[in-house]
Amino acid sequence: MAGLELLSDQGYRIDGRKPDELRRIRCKLGVFTQADGSAYIEQGNTKVLAAIYGPREADQNMRNQICHDKCFLNCEYTQATFSTAERKHRSRGDRKGQDMSTHIKQTFEATIQTSLYPRSQIDIYLQVLQADGSNYCACINAASLALIDAGIAMKDYVCACSASLTKGKPVIDINHVEESSDCAELSVAILPKLGQIVYSELNGRLHANELPDVIDAVVRGCKDLFVVMDRTVREHLEETATTFTHS
Amino acid sequence: MLKSKTLMVKTRSGKILKIVREHYLRDDIDNGLLTDKLDLHPLLQNDLVPHEHFLVLDTNVILHQMDVIEHPCIKNVIILQTVLREVRHRSSPVYKRLSSILENPDKKFFVFTNEHCIETWTARKRKESSNDLNDRLIRIATKYYSDCLSDRNQQAVLLTNDEANCAFAVEEGLIAYTAEKYVKSVVGHPELLDKLAKVNEAIEVDRSISYPEHLKLSQLNSGIKTGRFKQGKLNISRENYLEGKILCPDVKGGEILIQGRLNLNRAVHEDIVAVELASEEEWSAPSDVMLDVSIQPGAEISDSVDKKVVSNAHRVPSGKIVGIIKRSWRPYCGILENYGTPGMTRHLFTPAERRIPRIRIETRQFKTLIGQRIVVAIDCWPKHSKYPQGHFVRSLGEIGDKETENEVLLLEHDVSHAPFSQAVLNCLPSPNWAIPEEELRKREDLRGFPICSVDPPGCTDIDDCLHFIDLNDGSGAVEVGVHIADVSHFIRPSTPIDEEAKCRGTTVYLCDKRIDMVPALLSSNLCSLRDDGDRLAFSCIWKMSLDAKILQTRFCKSVIRSKASLTYAQAQMMIDDPAKTDNVTVGLRGLNKLAKILKSRRILNGALSLASPEVRFHVDSETHDPIDLQTKELRDTNSMVEEFMLLANCSVAEHIQQEFPECAVLRKHPGPPPSNFDVLINAAKTKQLDLNTSTSRELAVSLDNAEKPQPGVNLYISTLLRILATRCMLQAVYFCSGLESDFKHYGLAAPIYTHFTSPIRRYSDIMVHRLLAASIGADVTFSELLDKQEIQKICNNLNFRHRMAQYAQRASVALHTQLFFRGKLVDEKGYIIFVRKNAVQVLIPKYGLEGTVFLDRDCEGNAMTMNNLNYVEQDCKIFVGSIALQVFDEVVVQISHDASNIQHQRINLKLVKPNLPGISSVPSES
Amino acid sequence: MAKAILGDSEKWFIVHGVQDDFRTDGRSCENYRHIELETGILSNTHGSARIRLGSSELLVGVKVELGTPKPQRINEGWLEFHVDCSPNAHPVFQGRGGKELSDNICSMLTRVYRNNTVMDLEALGVIPQKHCWVVHVDVLILECGGNLIDAASIAVKAALYNTGIPNISLTDGDEGEVEINLPDDPEDVKHLKTINCPVLVTLSKIGNRHIVDATDEEECCCSASLVMGVTRRGHTVGVRKMGGGSLDPESVTEMIDSGKKIGRQLHISLDKLLKIEAGMSEDIKQTGYL
Repeated sequence: MAGLELLSDQGYRIDGRKPDELRRIRCKLGVFTQADGSAYIEQGNTKVLAAIYGPREADQNMRNQICHDKCFLNCEYTQATFSTAERKHRSRGDRKGQDMSTHIKQTFEATIQTSLYPRSQIDIYLQVLQADGSNYCACINAASLALIDAGIAMKDYVCACSASLTKGKPVIDINHVEESSDCAELSVAILPKLGQIVYSELNGRLHANELPDVIDAVVRGCKDLFVVMDRTVREHLEETATTFTHS
Repeated sequence: MLKSKTLMVKTRSGKILKIVREHYLRDDIDNGLLTDKLDLHPLLQNDLVPHEHFLVLDTNVILHQMDVIEHPCIKNVIILQTVLREVRHRSSPVYKRLSSILENPDKKFFVFTNEHCIETWTARKRKESSNDLNDRLIRIATKYYSDCLSDRNQQAVLLTNDEANCAFAVEEGLIAYTAEKYVKSVVGHPELLDKLAKVNEAIEVDRSISYPEHLKLSQLNSGIKTGRFKQGKLNISRENYLEGKILCPDVKGGEILIQGRLNLNRAVHEDIVAVELASEEEWSAPSDVMLDVSIQPGAEISDSVDKKVVSNAHRVPSGKIVGIIKRSWRPYCGILENYGTPGMTRHLFTPAERRIPRIRIETRQFKTLIGQRIVVAIDCWPKHSKYPQGHFVRSLGEIGDKETENEVLLLEHDVSHAPFSQAVLNCLPSPNWAIPEEELRKREDLRGFPICSVDPPGCTDIDDCLHFIDLNDGSGAVEVGVHIADVSHFIRPSTPIDEEAKCRGTTVYLCDKRIDMVPALLSSNLCSLRDDGDRLAFSCIWKMSLDAKILQTRFCKSVIRSKASLTYAQAQMMIDDPAKTDNVTVGLRGLNKLAKILKSRRILNGALSLASPEVRFHVDSETHDPIDLQTKELRDTNSMVEEFMLLANCSVAEHIQQEFPECAVLRKHPGPPPSNFDVLINAAKTKQLDLNTSTSRELAVSLDNAEKPQPGVNLYISTLLRILATRCMLQAVYFCSGLESDFKHYGLAAPIYTHFTSPIRRYSDIMVHRLLAASIGADVTFSELLDKQEIQKICNNLNFRHRMAQYAQRASVALHTQLFFRGKLVDEKGYIIFVRKNAVQVLIPKYGLEGTVFLDRDCEGNAMTMNNLNYVEQDCKIFVGSIALQVFDEVVVQISHDASNIQHQRINLKLVKPNLPGISSVPSES
Repeated sequence: MAKAILGDSEKWFIVHGVQDDFRTDGRSCENYRHIELETGILSNTHGSARIRLGSSELLVGVKVELGTPKPQRINEGWLEFHVDCSPNAHPVFQGRGGKELSDNICSMLTRVYRNNTVMDLEALGVIPQKHCWVVHVDVLILECGGNLIDAASIAVKAALYNTGIPNISLTDGDEGEVEINLPDDPEDVKHLKTINCPVLVTLSKIGNRHIVDATDEEECCCSASLVMGVTRRGHTVGVRKMGGGSLDPESVTEMIDSGKKIGRQLHISLDKLLKIEAGMSEDIKQTGYL
């Protein structure tokens, strides 16, 4: 819609958030029974399902990738045909999906303690049910939770958040409308407790002087996200523990 | 809390999409009552509302009653987010005005984000239209405010022009009135009533005229898509206000002509309209007749366009306007007509701009307003009304009073002339600012150089200084430097002073006043390179050979001390006086020699030297009234300074283009299309002169050849040809190098050019200074500096301001000419430069005055039926009986100032020689 | 189908159990597992449904678009099916691994819905020869627990029941062109008539008897299966035999009869559930996967 103001003069965005506020985040672990680990996350209207299979013996066709001292990761990112406003018929293996898959794989290679699982394979599958901006970040968060559910050893949680710059102010957790406007978009994944950035990607133009502010804002966003994810994991753990002790 | 907003959108390719967006509701939205954004006790009193109250405005009130809202007594108003969004969507000029009110803290307008506040949000009901939903949101927000204010014993009043909304509101227990009812009962401000716009009622119903209905916007859009209608901006002809045209690239000739009141169908100059092309048999030709309301008040009553037989060769595509896509109405300056009885409230207003039709307004202040210049805004133009309807905005002062007339011309040309705001003044350094130590260290110290400046007499804003040193290193090289005031050091980006300068774009020079782009402290004092001390400068220094070839160029920020601030006359005297041998004079002589070489080289390349009849008024220092006229003289020294300024601009242009190929600010002058020269070539042919207009060099050569004495050719003809050639040129414009590929400057015959040498009076130069400083490492870049789209937007504004400044300057000269001729009657020699079917246009070189002599009126100005007028177009000749008047003929005209009609004071030109019976007037006593 | 790996003794166990009308999870031969159904969970689609049949999980999204009618049927719109096997369900579905399975289910659904009595396609027409509604039904398989075809068809019926097509209005535009206008209110939709939509019932032959709703393990033991589309009235709209084994004609008629009966029962409970859900107030939060 032409003429939408991304940030009003009173400091509110199109959906009523302030620039430093995340969308409503709801997540759940263990939604599937067959996969080794699974999680579902909703960041506003972006809904992602993650499933983990592994660590397990390498597939026939992946035999050539086996390493003797660590496991290798296999990642696939798919978007459902009904996930965007305009229905897009996606054949598997399209450029964008492959791109995303590679990035997510890189992110987790830096986080999972792969040396604990030599000669095996861990599969990470991400299915986007509804896409409304910050797809990559939601996928990372979902995969992170799913890995925890699967019990795979990681250095830390991985929290990802996106940010953009409007009218000189950094806004975090951008949705689809803000993404499709002309502004630069920065996605960052961090290890919250260690305070390290494992992945970052910038689309668009940003002046060098403005970069530090945007990075600060996005790191703060990730830390807020971490709080939500941590709480979910602990609640899930309590629930599972009670079922075990009571049954 | 999260709710969801769903919309159905139809994309351009015909797909229908369902778009879902989040909508968060908050409980921490400020309603303005507890902060100081709104007054604790609103002062405005109204008979209809017993308590103190705050106003909540509906969209239609804002769209139509802006002038009432801008009145200083209307304060403490709550603007809802819903309303703001609708206004923005429906009308961007009104939105701009509203935004500027919102920025003004004294008006106490508060924007309440009602759609995200949990207490004022509501979901759409089944089958509710968006308009109804918006109305309901407004009512709920008003109720919310009423509840909040009830314990303070104050109320919230809803103002809406929608009767249904008003009724619903009253039912729900709210206080609601239409804007008209409210304004009528305001206590203490009767002038508000005049400002009310009457949108619904027709002030006048004139059965004699009924315009065709305008088509709906959706029909227009679909018609444009299929190609049945053409869209364009209406351009009313200066000579004939009942004729206009729109540019349309896909018809023959590129333009569609629209003639006559009914075909114009209530469109106003500069509206964006949809035109339906007529069939070829109905095509017509532009009228040769000149129609001017002020001279021919009777002419507009009989507005039938005479359907003369027009030869097919002359027919151009014509059409009629079927609908208006976007109105471009703005407040217009002008006067009230003295028709009708004083008791009437309905009057006719004549705008100063001839191309705008008269406007009917209703006012009770007729007695005070007659004889004053006033500002009026158009509200609507109903089908049955001959004229558009409007309302009075404000009064400017008495007609003919110099201050008022100056005000009118500044307003009509959109020249911002209000005093600088406090925010801007806060950005200035203190008046006794001195160059800080660290600046001295950062810059090159050129204080020992023989620097001087050469400017017109009385100039206080000195932009530039020059110096010349013989390097004496055996190679014959010399060093020449141009030093420009370092304005960008004082005006930092994104400060209020920068925004104000960006908006003004240029300093406007009127005959008696100067409207500064930057405050005087900077322009005349701190930045100005006066000879009374050290100044900061931006220097461009060349190492040149003695035959003016550039060997090396370098730029640096420097500190200089000008040795002398000379006038052109003084500098010329110094150069000519052999006794003077100080290094400044030696420098001047050197510069002079080099300048001559540079000039001849430029002319060889095709630079044009065109003439315009420039006059300068001698202004009485007491009354500021013009005493006498003086034409500008061109001395050697004028040319010298000009050459080096051009050279500096060229060098800087090359440099910034290299360093910033995507975002350099440059200036280009596109060559005129060959058709522009048609009139000129025709006119020259009548005197057997051939002009070659293929390149600028050919044109320059042809114009020079025309100066050679020839039998039967008046000596002044060559100058006249130059003046006419100036009018064929296109405008030079600023642009961003990343968005265009053609950089040439036709008039200067330069491959690349920019403006660098006058940052005190032009904003483009400040932008170039910033780029240059960044390239030499003397300053940092920032994101707007490098953003192509941003730069192009600023360039577009600068081009607009530059054009408006030129028009304003010309209007100021015209105004002063009028004032000068008050009470005088002068006979003077003139030349015919244009021949039309019923008039000739005469140029009087001594006064630089141009005017029309009508051949179908007698010497008293009354219309006559002329049956012995014979117009021969291709010879540019008109026969009155047996006497012929041709282009370039020398005539004598009588110039007088006609103040007989107080509304239309103007300069009258009457033909004295050749003596046409019935038309010409008696020569005045010498 | 992702094959579970069973040893011989396990297979015998299942086959013998079926003979005695006892299945491994305690059901009889004609019982369905626990079905969980939820509609309207994806807000950016025109209709959606999520079904959990035992341990199979599917998500169906319906999006409608304007398209050009087929040349033989200028007054009607059409349905288009698309099935996607998400690798979440099984690693073997990565890349193009699930193509065979998805093509299978897709063709079954297309064939059953092609019948004229099933769906009123004329209601989907907008302007003859120029525009019509094309209903894209996308099935996403999230977990494989056996009997995906039945689950898909139930979910498709539920999603179509939930679908709302915008109520467009036609106005005369320029030069005889008809303009399509969207309604102001996004809630202004018309629902499809799904009263005659079929469900697919898969009957798998194990030993001498046939069972409904086979799990993964049971599917490994079955030699042949029959998939039939059954409408609410018990009419059959399509039959297909799958699998490597052979069926003799009497078993086929037997299976079809029981299929019809089961189908009818399934429709009754499904319709009841859909009505209850539609009647539920909008305030109750959709839970989806949470």
